[in-house]
Amino acid sequence: MAPPAASQRYPSPSQPSGKSEVTDLKSQLRQLAGSRAPGVDDSKRDLFKKVISYMTIGIDVSSVFGEMVMCSATSDIVLKKMCYLYVGNYAKGNPDLSLLTINFLQRDCKDQDPMIRGLALRSLCSLRVPNLVEYLVGPLGSGLKDNNSYVRTIAVTGVLKLYHISASTCIDADFPATLKSLMLHDSDAQVVANCLSALQEIWSLEASHSEEACREKESLLSKPVIYYFLNRIKEFNEWAQCLILELAVKYVPSDSNDIFDIMNLLEDRLQHANGAVVLATVKVFLQLTLSMTDVHQQVYERIKSPLLTLVSSGSPEQSYAILSHLHLLVVRAPFIFASDYKHFYCQYNEPAYVKKLKLEMLTAIANESNTYEIVTELCEYAANVDIAIARESVRAVGKIALQQYDVNAIVDRLLQFLEMEKDYVTAETLVLVKDLLRKYPQWSHDCISVVGGISSKNIQEPKAKSALIWMLGEYAQDMSDAPYILENLIENWEEEHSAEVRLHLLTAAMKCFFKRPPETQKALGIALAAGMADFHQDVHDRALFYYRVLQYDVHVAERVVSPPKQAVSVFADTQSSEIKDRIFDEFNSLSVVYQKPSYMFTDKEHRGPFEFSDEIGNIPITPEASGDIVPAQQFEANDKDLLLSTDEKDDNKGVSITGSAYTAPSHDNSNISSQMQELAISGPATSAATPQSSFDFDDIFGLGLSTAPAPTPSPPLLKLNPRAALDPGAFQQKWRQLPISLTQDCSVNPQGIAALTVPQSLIKHMQSHSIHCIASGGQSPNFKFFFFAQKESEPSSNYFTECVINSSSAKAQIKVKADEQSTSQAFATVFETALSEFGMP
Amino acid sequence: MLQCIFLLSDSGEVMLEKQLTGHRVDRSICAWFWDQPDSFKSLPVIASPTHYLFQIVRDGITFLACTQVEMPPLMGIEFLCRVADVLSDYLGGLNEDLVKDNFIIVYELLDEMIDNGFPLTTEPNILREMIAPPNLVTKMLSVVTGNASNVSDTLPSGAGSCVPWRPTDPKYSSNEVYVDLVEEMDAIVNRDGELVKCEVYGEVQMSSQLTGFPDLTLSFANPSVLEDMRFHPCVRFRPWESHQLLSFVPPDGQFKLMSYMVKKLKNTPLYVKPQITSDSGTCRVSVLVGIRSDPGKTIESITLSFQLPHCVSSADLSSNHGTVTILSNKTCTWTIGRIPSDKTPCLSGTLALETGLERLHVYPTFKVGFKIMGIALSGLRIQKLDLQTIPPRLYKGFRAQTRAGDFDVRL
Repeated sequence: MAPPAASQRYPSPSQPSGKSEVTDLKSQLRQLAGSRAPGVDDSKRDLFKKVISYMTIGIDVSSVFGEMVMCSATSDIVLKKMCYLYVGNYAKGNPDLSLLTINFLQRDCKDQDPMIRGLALRSLCSLRVPNLVEYLVGPLGSGLKDNNSYVRTIAVTGVLKLYHISASTCIDADFPATLKSLMLHDSDAQVVANCLSALQEIWSLEASHSEEACREKESLLSKPVIYYFLNRIKEFNEWAQCLILELAVKYVPSDSNDIFDIMNLLEDRLQHANGAVVLATVKVFLQLTLSMTDVHQQVYERIKSPLLTLVSSGSPEQSYAILSHLHLLVVRAPFIFASDYKHFYCQYNEPAYVKKLKLEMLTAIANESNTYEIVTELCEYAANVDIAIARESVRAVGKIALQQYDVNAIVDRLLQFLEMEKDYVTAETLVLVKDLLRKYPQWSHDCISVVGGISSKNIQEPKAKSALIWMLGEYAQDMSDAPYILENLIENWEEEHSAEVRLHLLTAAMKCFFKRPPETQKALGIALAAGMADFHQDVHDRALFYYRVLQYDVHVAERVVSPPKQAVSVFADTQSSEIKDRIFDEFNSLSVVYQKPSYMFTDKEHRGPFEFSDEIGNIPITPEASGDIVPAQQFEANDKDLLLSTDEKDDNKGVSITGSAYTAPSHDNSNISSQMQELAISGPATSAATPQSSFDFDDIFGLGLSTAPAPTPSPPLLKLNPRAALDPGAFQQKWRQLPISLTQDCSVNPQGIAALTVPQSLIKHMQSHSIHCIASGGQSPNFKFFFFAQKESEPSSNYFTECVINSSSAKAQIKVKADEQSTSQAFATVFETALSEFGMP
Repeated sequence: MLQCIFLLSDSGEVMLEKQLTGHRVDRSICAWFWDQPDSFKSLPVIASPTHYLFQIVRDGITFLACTQVEMPPLMGIEFLCRVADVLSDYLGGLNEDLVKDNFIIVYELLDEMIDNGFPLTTEPNILREMIAPPNLVTKMLSVVTGNASNVSDTLPSGAGSCVPWRPTDPKYSSNEVYVDLVEEMDAIVNRDGELVKCEVYGEVQMSSQLTGFPDLTLSFANPSVLEDMRFHPCVRFRPWESHQLLSFVPPDGQFKLMSYMVKKLKNTPLYVKPQITSDSGTCRVSVLVGIRSDPGKTIESITLSFQLPHCVSSADLSSNHGTVTILSNKTCTWTIGRIPSDKTPCLSGTLALETGLERLHVYPTFKVGFKIMGIALSGLRIQKLDLQTIPPRLYKGFRAQTRAGDFDVRL
């Protein structure tokens, strides 16, 4: 079963290539099988060791299965263990031969030594061969009644394994009921804990089709059961304590006394040596007190010190997990760590991932009282040898500046960064100064005098270059040589490869032109010509648009491109508070580390507590989606989004101020950095203002207008069944069988794109059109959805759709597969209509 | 709910694979993991296209665990840390050869530590009773007695008792109990020479070989200096709450009784005064090290190390005490040892910058190392250790030591 690829991948001269050695082993084993000579166990042991070491390095030794089983008659426990290990690994692939092992395993289950009984039972249950389950029931039954707790512990887990191989056998043997009575009466804590974990799993899987299991599942959360566990929590080992605490989180207390009782019982768990127990306890405390505001605040005070200790005392990996949680807490209650900011100072030896989270913490807890110290600290990192952290800390200073009211000192610090003459610090700083100016235009004089001194030749990064160009355009009147710097840049148009920079050059040239026409005229001409000849669609479109607007009326152009600006008061936040609340509900889970709620990264079929799929990754997570999960990249993307989108919004706002006669669709919450969108908005604006325009704007705005809401949707020709249901497995199967009957591109309106920040909303929307989502995945800007629909009154006629939406180009591509090919066009129409209405009020 | 654990060598080779549930995790996940860019690969929690991965790296060995379901991340990480600790304890260290030579033991250990993806027994004392460590004594025994099994014949009784950390009835001819206070000091001195952070992380480590079922009480002379404590499960909570007494039935052998933090210390025992001035392509460096506040015991093994900035092309550094080494990766280490009584150790010399650079813009951080035997820097002192019933021939021992953890002096 182990893929041979692995062994080919790491060829090593000392390792055997496989074949001949395995055959060799086979004959040697065969010789030993019948022998009863003294010392035979030692030779067996050497051979077994060899077999297992081959197995470990990835060589397929399943061919010696028969011989291994023959040799398994032994009283040596190490030999037995090795044999169990081998059998467990290869039984699934050799169901017929596995039958041979049953015999000796069953015999071992009755051994005198409880350790052998336990080990044999564990191996027996780990064979996982469906047609052998009948042999499991007997040994499991007696294992559960064994007088040794070690055997009982293993038997309980065995029941769970049996359930996963054959649920019906497990239920028929009435094992859940046995487990329940063991759970409530057994004297051994580990047996009880295993019962709890097994029952939770079995009942939550059974609950979907059995009312009794549902009731039983509920009963685990009843007050007597919860208190039964909590009262004796100290008897359990640390991992079982985590399990019990997870259970306690789901318990709904009857009144405030109940809450205080539980908190009193659990308070000392906050001082447990195991971080996982501490964090699970913190979760219980936070969830219990959600409704009691003042107690909730006290809880924050109480948990602060244990959490801070965990951060500084554990391994870096533990610190990382804890810091992710602290970040979540601090966003909800910034005050709690405000005076403990020194705990988040970075030590030189810490790994980068810890430092990064610490910087985020410092940014989040900065307030009036501690900003000076924090910024001083961050400035020291900016001068440090670690370049990645230097960059991050410059960014952090900028973020703090943006969230503070008194930015005086910080601006000075930022400007000092520019004087450090390090290209990466300069680059990061420029981007920040740009954002800062958009929020605090009053600082323009100080900043501009410093920025003006920076040579554009020293800046290579597109983001930084764009920022510089933006400032040149925006403050052209204050910088005496702005037109000449721009001219210089425009003359080197060909050497500039980034579309982002080119776009900014165009806009800056326009702005500069309005302020200082004679000096800029030539440069603008060159820029527009170069832009219109550009291969990049956005650059081309923008140049053409500027050109035509200028041609029409320079004053209109000025009002469109360079309207009076309003300072930005709040930058668009990348995460809505709803999402933050969702993550908080999933405290102490992976969601916190990934900083997104589980529905955004786990698929529906895996969201259930214990469901697996062998063929995972076929539908749910596409390769591009997996790339997007990379947290680091995601931050990058978010950053970019944030900067660009606000930039756009700025311009949009300007437009809606100047042309207040028309109603531009509200885009305040849109988060898209698309040039298309700008066209779509300014398009109707200009044309509305000049209805008698002699220019044919259609070709410019064609794209933009088509993204506007479709007229009246034609009544759907096809009736769909609103309550259709299909399980993901069946979908997957059908999707593989059927050919693609139709592929179609369509556009999504901007409101839809905006609403897509929560992909769940599209799923709901489509559901209201009787189109059901099976799976979804992806990250901005690429989203992927699989939908399913069924023809009304014809359950055999299904439609399967894959819909890929790119939110930055506002395009969607749909692929339809259908049982009835002839109606797929009709379905596509319905689908497209439904999609076009997405996001509309 | 972990599904699989892999042990990878420092070249990315799979040394060991332990499947935990019925859903076999393909080895290709390791290849995928290994091919990721470093900045991503180093994260402790990673989302791959098919699984969520937890990883920790210890001594070049990557412990990688996979799961497909939501689970507390800290639980996965804590468990892996525990596995690493137990393995290094068993094998007497961790490296590729040790793991490969003893893979059977590793399999046996994992088998007892986790079942069906859920952690089971991680208490080292219990494991030790189930599976004998591969030490010289057992090897000798197996040769002498001819019984080569490294598995004990009896089940550990502790697994079933209500004091899970202790075997029921160990017997010793001489009863010994040792208490060690081990402290680590973390500090940051910023560019202005200000001490911005100074805290001590301490552990009370014990080693106990006591007959029967001893009940111990440990008291401190000044428990009020402690700020945040974490206890071994054996410590009873109430006596601590009411009288700051540590009352417990100890595990057999070595264990960590408690850990604590002492924050906001006022002073470091040493001062480090670095100075760098740069002008027209060369930097003059001088670093002074001396005793700031005398702890009352000798400060030993003083070292100072720092990373030379990338833009430094050559360095010429010497000291009036101790030795200076510069490695090819531009790490400079100054080994001082003890501070002499007659002079202040001083490191001085020049750094040549790369051509074209006038002044130095990137500054190194100095990492300071030291060790003080016989004293806990936090000031914590043990008052006494009482046994409820005193066994014959009892020996009690106390020690303390402090060493530098992360002591950074920035320039």
